[in-house]
Amino acid sequence: MVENARSINIVASILLAIGILYIVGPLYLTLSTASQSYEYMLRNGLAWVPGTELFANMGKVIHDTRIPVQMLNSMIVAFSNALATCALSFLSAYAIVYFRIRWAGVAFALILATIMLPLDIRVITTYQVASNIFSPLNAVLDFTGLNSLIEMAFGSPVQLELSVLDTHFGLVAPLVAHGTGTFLFRQFFMTLPKDLFKAARMDGAGPIRFLIDILLPLARASFASLFVLTFLSGWTQYLWPLVGASTPDMQTAVVGLARLVPDADGQVPDFPMIMAGAVLVSLVPLTMIAVLQRFLVQGLVLSEK
Amino acid sequence: MTAIDLSIRAAAAEIALIGVTKSYDAKNTIIPPIDVTLRPGEFTVVLGPSGCGKSTLLQMIAGLERVSSGKIVIGGREVQDLEPKHRGCAMVFQNYALYPHMTVAENMAYSLKVAGVSKAERAERVGTVAKMLGLADYLTRKPSQLSGGQRQRVAIGRAIIREPGVLLFDEPLSNLDAQLRHDMRVELAELHRRIGATSVFVTHDQVEAMTLADRILILNKGHIEQFDTPKAIYHHPASVFVAKFIGSPPMNILEVEGDGSVLRLADGQVVANYSAKGKFQLGIRPEDIAVNEGGSIKTEIRYREDLGSHEILETKIADQNLRIAMPFGVEIDTTQTLSLSFPQARLHLFDGETGRAIANAFGDAHSAPVKEYQ
Repeated sequence: MVENARSINIVASILLAIGILYIVGPLYLTLSTASQSYEYMLRNGLAWVPGTELFANMGKVIHDTRIPVQMLNSMIVAFSNALATCALSFLSAYAIVYFRIRWAGVAFALILATIMLPLDIRVITTYQVASNIFSPLNAVLDFTGLNSLIEMAFGSPVQLELSVLDTHFGLVAPLVAHGTGTFLFRQFFMTLPKDLFKAARMDGAGPIRFLIDILLPLARASFASLFVLTFLSGWTQYLWPLVGASTPDMQTAVVGLARLVPDADGQVPDFPMIMAGAVLVSLVPLTMIAVLQRFLVQGLVLSEK
Repeated sequence: MTAIDLSIRAAAAEIALIGVTKSYDAKNTIIPPIDVTLRPGEFTVVLGPSGCGKSTLLQMIAGLERVSSGKIVIGGREVQDLEPKHRGCAMVFQNYALYPHMTVAENMAYSLKVAGVSKAERAERVGTVAKMLGLADYLTRKPSQLSGGQRQRVAIGRAIIREPGVLLFDEPLSNLDAQLRHDMRVELAELHRRIGATSVFVTHDQVEAMTLADRILILNKGHIEQFDTPKAIYHHPASVFVAKFIGSPPMNILEVEGDGSVLRLADGQVVANYSAKGKFQLGIRPEDIAVNEGGSIKTEIRYREDLGSHEILETKIADQNLRIAMPFGVEIDTTQTLSLSFPQARLHLFDGETGRAIANAFGDAHSAPVKEYQ
């Protein structure tokens, strides 16, 4: 309605301003706190004005804490998470869309179920499996009675043990098992002309050739957007890295930041240094978003469809 | 050097389907056993309503669908178990199915690239085909920058560049507008004459079938209703299904009963002389009905459609619809009762039960006997 545009505009602007304040306020506080000294904070409480200590604080983070090592961990986790998710999702979506497979619908439903059952819900069972990745196998052997047979034959039952806790693999693997990427690629493949696969077959290209020559170049944008999305989510993961890694040298940067707050009561945390760390840790995803935001939007739009 | 036009020329192959069937499960038979031979270099149009199995048939020849049983022989070789690339077929798809990220030249050369043809030869053959199809100026464009007709031409170029013995078309013109469809039809006919590959063209458009085909294969629920030249199919439809499917407007089919000497409509009007008893279906084309020439069948006009070149009159006799096509220039008083007669030589008689045509029911039918093809 055109005649109401002015009043609506004003209301909308006010709402937007409140929203921006809500988001930018804490960000500003982070930055201003990060640029003040510990002593200033102890004297004045909340730092509303920026100071000059930002680089000094950052230097403290780099020299006095494990944040640099932990950022490297985060990098490894986020990068392998993104890479593995892209590869797996692409291949599984390819299988589901282009091949007549028995139970394809069921397989896809199970993949989608991982979206409805995120890691946060499964964290305890995931921890159990990660602490001994053979535990499902052991359970099956016990349950089917095979183990009692083995015990009769060899004197002792099979109990395999291998823990992936405190390893990069253990940090990454549970994150990769997520269906969003498969869904995204499936949606993208469905938008392609359905005779493309047949045309390629008539041209003499087998399934692998089709995958490499046709599908991969076409899916470049989807790849990029999924990569950015999974990289960001890998970088900002908190719960699983907290549970899955217990030594400071294996923890990720986000967990490390939380650990900078001393456990002991009564001591005021060095908030300027912690905030400087937060800024430092945010730099990587921030750069990522800045450089690849085109794909980020594209990916969000695609996964909405 | 020979003229460049002749450099793309295929060695046409004969296609024989021997007892070919297709079913997805025990209950669901798409194609009952089918036996048919397509001569080398022949342009066959497979015509039928949607869901009659014509696309399935084409894809079985191409190798994109497996046959459930039977043999497919192309150029003397049994191919039913071979991959598409080993069958010597190329295909043009309904929605073009061009590779969106490749240029026109890359699209056309892709099959050669897969086959390991050298870059220089690829470029040369792309040049030849592009010239032939009028695409020489568009070689570096992407499919999204082309019009529908140009995309269709690229799809055709991609198919003929390998000089296949068999060219398959899956409703390739159905995405084009009427004018372009006509132009492409002319172009396709011309192209077929030059390349000479055995062509199978699937469509549900009878105009495409009538104009392009050497022979038309009419499919109904997977079985062959008739396989003959367009002329023969128009003038001697083998069944009621064919009669109703070909011609615009289609042939009128009337339920009649024979009493041993004449055929009568349900209301008792005599429409023709015939010496057998029983139920029949009588066919007459709208343009063959004689109006106001002293006929004994009376009717009134319910609706008229003026199409410029001719006029369609909708009438009813004995509660059955009857369409009459009047040539341009004949004045009809729409308020008056029409008197119709059905020239005996123009009548088609079909069995009342099976719908199959009864040959020579009214003596030697049709003034100009249709010549046998080839």
